[in-house]
Amino acid sequence: MSAGKRTKRFLEILPGSISWGIIIFLVVMTVWRPVIAAVIIIIFDFYWIIRTVYLTTLLVLAHRRLSRERSKDWLAACRSLPKRKWEDLYHLVIFPVYKEGLDILRPSLEALKTCHYPKSRIIVVMAFERRHAPAGEYAKILEAEFGGTFGAYLTTFHPDQLPGEKRLKGANATWAARKAKDLLEQKKIPLAEVIVSCFDADTCIDREYFGCLAYHFLTNPKPHQASYQPVPVYNNNIWQAPSLARIIEISASFCQMIESLRLEKFVTFSSHSMSFKTLVDIDYWPVDMISDDSVVYWKAFLYYKGDYRVIPLYTTVSMDVAYGKNLFKTLEVQYKQKRRWAWGVENFPFVVSRLLRDHEIPLVLKIRRSFHLLESHVTWALWAIIMGVMPSLPLLVGGVFFAQTPISQNLPRVIGVLLNFTLGTSIVWILLSRAILPPRPKEVHWITNIVMVVEWLFVPFLILILGSTPALDAQTRLMLAKYMEFSATEKRRTVV
Amino acid sequence: MTREQSIRTVLFYMSLAIFFLGLPFILAFSLGYKFDPRTLKFTRGGLIMIKTVPGGASVFLNKLLVKDKTPVMLNELIPGTYQIDLELEGHYSYFAEVRVEPGKVVRLEKVILFPLRPDIQKLNKEKISAFWIDEIKATVYYIDKESKTIYTSDLEGDHFKEAASFPPLIPPPKRWELSPDRDKLLFFNAHEIGLVYLGAEEHPAVRERMFTVQFPYDTINEVFWYSDSYHLVMLTDKKVMITEARQDAIPVSLISLNKKNATGSYDVRTDTLFFIDAQEAVDGKMYDNLYKIELHNRLYPFSDFIRLKPNERREKN
Repeated sequence: MSAGKRTKRFLEILPGSISWGIIIFLVVMTVWRPVIAAVIIIIFDFYWIIRTVYLTTLLVLAHRRLSRERSKDWLAACRSLPKRKWEDLYHLVIFPVYKEGLDILRPSLEALKTCHYPKSRIIVVMAFERRHAPAGEYAKILEAEFGGTFGAYLTTFHPDQLPGEKRLKGANATWAARKAKDLLEQKKIPLAEVIVSCFDADTCIDREYFGCLAYHFLTNPKPHQASYQPVPVYNNNIWQAPSLARIIEISASFCQMIESLRLEKFVTFSSHSMSFKTLVDIDYWPVDMISDDSVVYWKAFLYYKGDYRVIPLYTTVSMDVAYGKNLFKTLEVQYKQKRRWAWGVENFPFVVSRLLRDHEIPLVLKIRRSFHLLESHVTWALWAIIMGVMPSLPLLVGGVFFAQTPISQNLPRVIGVLLNFTLGTSIVWILLSRAILPPRPKEVHWITNIVMVVEWLFVPFLILILGSTPALDAQTRLMLAKYMEFSATEKRRTVV
Repeated sequence: MTREQSIRTVLFYMSLAIFFLGLPFILAFSLGYKFDPRTLKFTRGGLIMIKTVPGGASVFLNKLLVKDKTPVMLNELIPGTYQIDLELEGHYSYFAEVRVEPGKVVRLEKVILFPLRPDIQKLNKEKISAFWIDEIKATVYYIDKESKTIYTSDLEGDHFKEAASFPPLIPPPKRWELSPDRDKLLFFNAHEIGLVYLGAEEHPAVRERMFTVQFPYDTINEVFWYSDSYHLVMLTDKKVMITEARQDAIPVSLISLNKKNATGSYDVRTDTLFFIDAQEAVDGKMYDNLYKIELHNRLYPFSDFIRLKPNERREKN
């Protein structure tokens, strides 16, 4: 094994071994030194509560900004810009499609069609997988329906298993982007004037999305050295989705909103946009990594020697809530989706191994970004276990001596009081969740409004199942070199 | 920097300050320390954990009422001795003096507060002088020595009724004992055994439902029912005997005893008699020993000299 591969392997093992190391350490301490274990648990819980309150405040700020900006006439704002002309910009929109049917794809294109932006400046690429048999038929239908709506409309079919590729969304998107590049060159459109948006197949953009994107692109002093991240919401089928799935996806939206204010850590997630020139310069999305959405950011970050950032767009892109036929299937679907997100831990060896080789990025920046990456994944794998399971362990296995100490009596009380603080934050989350909901469809009973509040009682249960376990699972797989395969999240839209 | 970023920076440092300022207090509280604002120091205290049955008792710590009721945990107590009073209306109060040590928990978790006026209920409806309880039949037997009457009732005192009369014994009986079938009652003094048939059914071998059997030449120490509820095992000052529970029965002597006041115990489940008797040792002195004799008729040849039970005799005839 070469030195580079050894380093990469070490970096793959590191996050999982730290997470497991901390868990094993705490379990051993609860038996061997229960008082110290209880102190560590209290410190962590206190830290987590402070962090939760802090992040909830950020969520309120982000939410206020979203409310303010999502209804703004961004196109008018673009028109008022003195220097650069928005009319020169083109928006290349790529929809990588795998098994999604017309019921999923049509609304995505309809949203493009009805957006508040000249359609002549929008180029749509429907990127199908050749291995999916019905793709050809879908392509024909969609081209017939939407082919004449936009500035250009391109359908691509990604061949299966090209050399160096894995069966991933990134490979399909890259194939489509290469074909789009040929088209742009053919039309003599400068790549620097093109903003590419890679959307999940179920993504329905907000009406003002492209205006907002164009405005931020044009007002950015380094427009090519930034990705543009909208707020992902899961409103497409939120009224039809089961409670569990709904809470999880709303929480995911909120996490993204919080991240949008933590700019120094902000990384692209799911549907996002960037300069097409930059995409070409960094050799497109990765074709062999599952977390293509974040890796593409890191590729640009490394390409621009750390001078690359993600600019939050306070406009929404709406996607589908993932759920199954029944409760267990929904939990399974959600677990797999969260594990796939947590597989973003593969970014750590990818980024750090390249940062180690780089000599131009400032050392402090290298250390800070590496630490953030590692810390966020390790915390993800631990927080629910430390908050949910660990406090009861010293009481169960601490023994007679521990039972005689004040901390054995105070531990449940202190944890209880601290957790009560999270109740306050939960109320804020419930109120904000109501604010980002689309209007209730007529066919949905009004009682669902009440269900949508009561369902938050499931949160402790969900935290125990989906809080840390998917992240620990993903890290363990990476640690043991059992690399994950991409599995598309099941999308369904039931009519109730 | 946008407005949100400025607010975020302030929030971040505020959170940091709350964490580092709050953590010592939380940890100190958890570990049983108490912050003394006068000395600005943490003093390690102890805890008293109190649980009572029933709960909800008022707690007085050194005569001062504590806000919470039991179950309660008294935190951050400076080491020393404390007086604990627990008071619950309608119950006897509880008092304890406990010593609190630094970093230790004193547990008063098994405190039972007994009711002040327990639910007292008079069971007998007639004058009585003694009683005993048959738990198996859930029956109370009452004796009135003056009227020489036996009454019965259930455990609540209901269905109080006269069950039988009994013959007088002079001097009064030492002990009363029900037969294993709960149908007969024996009582005895030093020379006389009284028997009363409590059941309604007539006994074929017994002429009268109450009678006495006299033993003028022996001093009776113990009388036990044999498991068939028809024979009696007797321990006198001279011997171990077995006899039928009827008037003209002739006792069978099983063992001669050296000890005048021999005592014993009888296990009716196995028909085994345990008794103490004196035996001369090689040094010529008498020493007490505990003996056991199994009287079950399969092990002991009773069939030769103990008559069959009345129903068995009928069947045989």
